[in-house]
Amino acid sequence: MARIGEVTPHVTVQDALVRARTRAALVPDLMVEARRVVNTVIAGWHGRRRRGIGENFWQFRPYVEGDAISRIDWRRSAREEGHLYVRDQEWEAAHTVWLWADRSPSMLYRSNRAEVSKESRAIVHVLALAELLSRSGERIAWPGLTDPFAARNGAERLAQYVAHAEPSAERPDMKQIRRFCDVVISSDFLDPPDEIKLWLDPLTRGGIRVHLIEVADPTEETFPYTGRIEFHDPETGERLTAGRAETVAEEYRNLYAARREELRRWCKSLGWSYTVNHTDRLASEALIQVHTAMTSDMEIGR
Amino acid sequence: MNFLPLSFGAPMVLWGLIALPVIWWLLRLTPPSPQRETFPPLAILARIVRREETPQNSPWWLTLLRLALAALVILALADPVFNPRERTAVSGQALAIVLDNDWSSAPDWDRRVATAERLIADARGSGLPIVLALTADRPNQDIGPFDADTAIQRLNAAEPRPVPPDRPVIYERVADALETMPGATLALLTNGLAAPGDDAAFEQIVAADPSEIRWGAPDRTSLLAFTDSTNEPERFTVTAIRPESDTAPRQATAYASDERGRRIAEALITFGAGETAATGEMRVPFELRNDFASIGISGEHHAGALHLLDENSRRRRIGLLAQSAEDEAQPLLSPLYYIRRALSPYADLIEAESADRSEAIPELLDQQPAAIIMADVGTLPDAAREQLVEWIHNGGTLIRFAGPRLAAAEHDEELLPVRLRVGERSLGGTLSWSEPQPVAEFPVGSPFSDLTPPRDVTVNRQVLAEPSADIVERAWASLADGTPLVTGATREAGRVILFHITPEATWSNLPISGTFVEMLRRIVQLSQNQGSVAGEQEETATRLAPYRMISATGTMVPPGPEAEPLTPGPDATVDLAHPPGLYGSEDGVVAHNLLASDATLETLARPEAPVTITEAHYAFDSAQPLRGALLAAALGLLALDTLAVLWLGGLLRRSSRRRPASAASAILIAFLAFGLLSPDRALAQQTQTSEAEAIDAISATRIAYVITGNSSVDAISRAGIMGLSRFLTDKTALEPGEPAGVDIDTDELSFYPLIYWPIDANAPMPSEEAIARIDAYMQEGGTVLFDTRDQYSAGFDSSDSVSPETQRLRDILANLDVPPLEPVPEDHVLTKAFYITSEFPGRYNGSPLWVAADMNAASPSDRPVRSGDGVSPIMITGNDMAGAWAIDSDGQPLLPTVPSNSMQRVYSLRAGVNIMMYMLTGNYKSDQVHVPALLERLGQ
Repeated sequence: MARIGEVTPHVTVQDALVRARTRAALVPDLMVEARRVVNTVIAGWHGRRRRGIGENFWQFRPYVEGDAISRIDWRRSAREEGHLYVRDQEWEAAHTVWLWADRSPSMLYRSNRAEVSKESRAIVHVLALAELLSRSGERIAWPGLTDPFAARNGAERLAQYVAHAEPSAERPDMKQIRRFCDVVISSDFLDPPDEIKLWLDPLTRGGIRVHLIEVADPTEETFPYTGRIEFHDPETGERLTAGRAETVAEEYRNLYAARREELRRWCKSLGWSYTVNHTDRLASEALIQVHTAMTSDMEIGR
Repeated sequence: MNFLPLSFGAPMVLWGLIALPVIWWLLRLTPPSPQRETFPPLAILARIVRREETPQNSPWWLTLLRLALAALVILALADPVFNPRERTAVSGQALAIVLDNDWSSAPDWDRRVATAERLIADARGSGLPIVLALTADRPNQDIGPFDADTAIQRLNAAEPRPVPPDRPVIYERVADALETMPGATLALLTNGLAAPGDDAAFEQIVAADPSEIRWGAPDRTSLLAFTDSTNEPERFTVTAIRPESDTAPRQATAYASDERGRRIAEALITFGAGETAATGEMRVPFELRNDFASIGISGEHHAGALHLLDENSRRRRIGLLAQSAEDEAQPLLSPLYYIRRALSPYADLIEAESADRSEAIPELLDQQPAAIIMADVGTLPDAAREQLVEWIHNGGTLIRFAGPRLAAAEHDEELLPVRLRVGERSLGGTLSWSEPQPVAEFPVGSPFSDLTPPRDVTVNRQVLAEPSADIVERAWASLADGTPLVTGATREAGRVILFHITPEATWSNLPISGTFVEMLRRIVQLSQNQGSVAGEQEETATRLAPYRMISATGTMVPPGPEAEPLTPGPDATVDLAHPPGLYGSEDGVVAHNLLASDATLETLARPEAPVTITEAHYAFDSAQPLRGALLAAALGLLALDTLAVLWLGGLLRRSSRRRPASAASAILIAFLAFGLLSPDRALAQQTQTSEAEAIDAISATRIAYVITGNSSVDAISRAGIMGLSRFLTDKTALEPGEPAGVDIDTDELSFYPLIYWPIDANAPMPSEEAIARIDAYMQEGGTVLFDTRDQYSAGFDSSDSVSPETQRLRDILANLDVPPLEPVPEDHVLTKAFYITSEFPGRYNGSPLWVAADMNAASPSDRPVRSGDGVSPIMITGNDMAGAWAIDSDGQPLLPTVPSNSMQRVYSLRAGVNIMMYMLTGNYKSDQVHVPALLERLGQ
């Protein structure tokens, strides 16, 4: 019996970038949604419909003591006797979205039922989001690799950074991520849920919205193995032999689903989104869901 | 393998054990290298798959198991045999087996057959002809030569015979047969007991020139056999012998059985060290001894251990003769009255029909009595006297009583023990100085010596003996003044005894004392029957047909085809044509016993022979081929291995849903196996009421119901009794225990005051014994409540038809002693025992409750209840009472009443309470109903 799964080499990031753009372009709905988001809500260069630091005029309001003198709009104040008006700008803050794709060895797995490896899919997710976000002027960043930056060709730049970085199994430190930003993490989340929770714990504070995309190979979920099989963990190198793999399949599936369910519940309790994307399905499905999550979350407000 | 009783049929296969390390190595390699798969969620998988099942380490115990399995298979292939027997090839041209199948071979017959079978089996391999002869069978038996199969068949058809062996004849036949087959192997499988003609027989057979002799004799002959028995006045003695070779001290229990085989007496026979004969005594009343039909030895099952008794050792026939015809009007004055009263329990009394003594005496003598009692007979007619004297000389006992006629008669030397003075002596009369004389101590040597002389007996008159030199030794009893009271003398084989008083109470009050009975009994015991009645009645007086034979195993069987009529006599031999047993007919039998009274059991000497003699031990073939057991063990290990692999593979743990089912099936299998292994355990426990059960049954008042075998009926009965018990507990002071289901065939019934018996027409008819038990239960005070439960299934048709249940009840009652029945009258105690109720409904209403009619019951109109004793032993209803009483575990009624009426159920329970109170208190309530009146009166 041919092997079901294999470990693929690390994906060429540039290749992934091309695919990411294709994927992003192949999702017209997403584009529409993204455009709508860009035009209305999220985008960094667009007003937030509230007073704040920005470049665009928002409103005139009467001067109250304490306002800086420099903020008085003298032209407007001159029109009316006895009143001083202060010119308020619309709050324009470019939003920062931290993107991270797991590039650990376990992500290199690809089964014969999937088109791509999990790593490939994860990077496609990240780069597609980077493309979309950059287009709408958001600041994007890769924790541990770049600081937040805003650029029209953000996806390309991010791809450059990633391509030159050494793939590592280590998870980035999340403590550097400041308040009020979005974090998108695409990984397989196969580590023990407690470990993952510990890792993401810094993000639970300070109003950070996190979007977890679980990239799953269908084989991992369905466990189609039969017979005597020695399983090999690409990450730890451990080996495990199941005498009759089919006998444990059902129990394994239960545990696998339980792990996912635990994470999903944890995310829900924190107001985070949790998206599952199988590598035999389209990457855009996950993109749509993540964007929907970002949008809906926005509408609910903080 | 010398140190173990173990041998191998194919020892070379044992070299295969060397392969075990290779197998071990192979086992270590297995399971085969698995398919390798990369699998990132290994951590999750690792929580399920056991760490032990890594390929390098199959668990050590599994390896051990498989190694043991392989070793077992190799051992099994080597064909091991436990306790191998020596396989000595039979030499020569033929095999001759001479097997003693006489009476002494019965206890270990199987062992002897097994020994012979072994010999035949050894000969089978070389295809030798086999001569098989049985020494206790007919001389003209077919002795072969046979082939092995036929020999085995004949051997298995052979059986021990209850007769001694006839070695000379059989050995001669075998020797003849061997003449044509020189150099045969001769197997003499003897019984180890010497018999007449042995030497000649052995000489003959050794002369047949066998190449080898196998000599078989039992290692230890421990049999006991009876030779003699005597019915003495005070006791019954039996004599048993044992073989010389058995010298250890030994005790055995002899028992006497009556004609129906019941044990009625036992005796201990104790052999001292080296003794070959011993006697045992049975001290039981004479009446019981007369019932002895046979004597047996406990634990001995052969013909020698059954000693049959016939008339000779039992009741004597006594002829009675008086001078005058009896006066029917004054029986107490009849001279024979007290003799008859004294002897009739112990002896058969015969009286002559003719009053004429010349006819009466021959008539009596024709019946060959043991003794003749003559009451005051003077002189006899000459012809009759001659016959009488001859009879006495042949062993008859003549007992005479004195009287006026004898006192007046002339002396008769033959028929009187002592010379008498003419006339009688009167003591204590009005004209006499002398006092009536008491009886002195009975002299030593007299048959009465162990009796105590009666103190209140006096003798007023007697006939006196002439003093003579031998008067003292002839006096069996004397008066206080020394004059003889009873004298006796032998006449050749017989005896003449004279009581010097009359047999009635005129001369002495001795005949009305108990001592008289004892004295007569002792004298009768001295006498012996002169032949058997059967012998006279049959035309062929000397030849008796076989009646009941002793089988080789010491039981009584009908005569076989070989038994021929027997001529009784001291020289009657025991052979196949005359096997031991009873000969004669129902009217009278003669016992023909195996061993003569002087028989001994001597050890058979091994004959001298010019050829080698090897011992052949009588033993079962104890060789146990272990191959099957080893293979079975290997299979068991294989099954274990399979289970272990399944367990390791997680199959047993995987589906927890199936576990109950598999556990249940395992339990089921275990139960099945248990059930197959012990099929009779439950039944065996039921056959006897154990003490614990009895205590359980009587520690609380329990209402019983009959287990009909129909589970639904029984369940309703149980639930019904349960419901009634609960109602009783609620409403009355009675707190019944658990309902008791009784099996009327086996269970003790007397524990239960009331037995509810639902009649089920489909249940098997109770056995007669069961019905007899029920009858006894009812006689002893128990009550059975029959419930036909057919109130509405019967009665809609014409009144003639009866329901099957009623028919079954009639069948049952047909065998019971049922009193006359009546429906419960209005003033019956049952209507007032606890509740005042007039009807006794169950699920149905309308069937009357039938109870025993009390014919004596007075029923005055002014009393509200009839008086009368006793409790009706039987009640019959058709209302299905248990159905109305029945409750489930929640206390809810199980069955609806018909018509559906909750009050009917209450009435039914009240009826049950009344019945139960009636059972326990009887007619007590018939008095209690007056309490208000009594209280009223007391209040005044």
